[in-house]
Amino acid sequence: MAIDEKEVVSRAIKGDGEAFAQLYEAYFDKIYRYLYLRLGEQAEVEDLAQEVFIKALEAIGSYRWRNLPFASWLFRIARNQMIDHLRKGGKVEKMPWDDNIAYVEGPNPALVAEQKLEIEELRDNIEKLSPAQRAVISLRFGGELSLTEVAKALGKSPGTVKALQHSGVAALKKMMLADR
Amino acid sequence: MTRKMKTEDILDKCLERLFKGESIEDCLRDYPWQASELEPLLRTSFALLQRSAAIRPDPEFKARVHSQLQGMLHAKREEAEKKAVVPVWRRRWAVAMTTVSVVLLAGIGAVAASANALPDEPLYAVKLAAEQIRVSLAFSEMDGAGLHIQFAERRAAEIAEMARQGKVDKIPALTEQVADHLGKVYEVKVRQEFEERMPKIILAPGPVPSPAIEANDYTQEEETEDKLRIMVGESRARSLSLLQAALAETPEESKSSLEQAIRDVTQDYDEALVNLES
Repeated sequence: MAIDEKEVVSRAIKGDGEAFAQLYEAYFDKIYRYLYLRLGEQAEVEDLAQEVFIKALEAIGSYRWRNLPFASWLFRIARNQMIDHLRKGGKVEKMPWDDNIAYVEGPNPALVAEQKLEIEELRDNIEKLSPAQRAVISLRFGGELSLTEVAKALGKSPGTVKALQHSGVAALKKMMLADR
Repeated sequence: MTRKMKTEDILDKCLERLFKGESIEDCLRDYPWQASELEPLLRTSFALLQRSAAIRPDPEFKARVHSQLQGMLHAKREEAEKKAVVPVWRRRWAVAMTTVSVVLLAGIGAVAASANALPDEPLYAVKLAAEQIRVSLAFSEMDGAGLHIQFAERRAAEIAEMARQGKVDKIPALTEQVADHLGKVYEVKVRQEFEERMPKIILAPGPVPSPAIEANDYTQEEETEDKLRIMVGESRARSLSLLQAALAETPEESKSSLEQAIRDVTQDYDEALVNLES
């Protein structure tokens, strides 16, 4: 965690709205990406991303930064929310890709369509990984967490996370080659 | 740079460099003996990075949530200001007095009679209310955590009994309550540790605490974590034993619900233990 972020987090803990807004700006897209890679349905992902930040706002007063990096704490909330959601049977049937895809925009419709397909392909491939590989890959690439932050968020050792990252990327390599 | 490094270590180092904007070729140049194995992994990682980066939330939605959070923050501040007007001891006294009145009005007899009530019985609401009151009157955070562990175990016992009676419709809600109680234990742990440190972080105007004091604090925190872990671990064993024992006495058509509950409760306890370890 950067020194500046520590300072921002400390202010947010004390109820500083501007500091919380800074954390929101820094993490919202990452949380959204992480949830999208895991769930793949825009409305579902939006609901959960919103809930994650509401929970974070409610709980930030009790956040302790010494042992757990802020990013790990926040993604742990996201992961717990997602697990709760899945456990309660909240997973909705996947919609056709054109109604459901992540928000992508650009001047060239063909390029945008291609990008959407690539994202869907990635998500489908991540879905085929083992649960542990999927958790690591989506936090590392969707959440952009460091290896240590992923380890803390998942409660695993950095060595285990490193091995899962390697096997996950290798499995995705095979799938992406097969897709071509 | 050593040739003894494992591929997974090199991959991780290169990934960090890709995250910072370096190219695949930059990294391969530093590990020529590993390049043939590394290159396809890095190309896959790069594609992963690019595709993930293209996933973005709808800006309007993001702005809407932002406004909602600002509204909540505002309300939270107002509530805190209101609370600050009434001294803490008065608030606690008011809570205690209200609680005592409720207990007296509800009837001590009803509370006692509710002890063995099951979720489909009228006195069950009294049982839950009595539990809440006990938590609110707990003398310390550790006592509160102990009560939550005890109540998680009670829910497990209720799951076992409901399964024996073939009343499986209430089991999922009870399983969630086990998770809620165990989640509260983690919150208690975080809150307690945070409160222990807060006075030093915010108020300490004097000299920086000596390493000896820091080390002592650390030991106390570790001790709290250890105690909670032991309590949750013991409760896990008791709860799972109750649930497993109920399997033999559960009607055939209800067994799958109980088996699912056992899996869920096991996961809830395991997650709680992982959280308490971090």
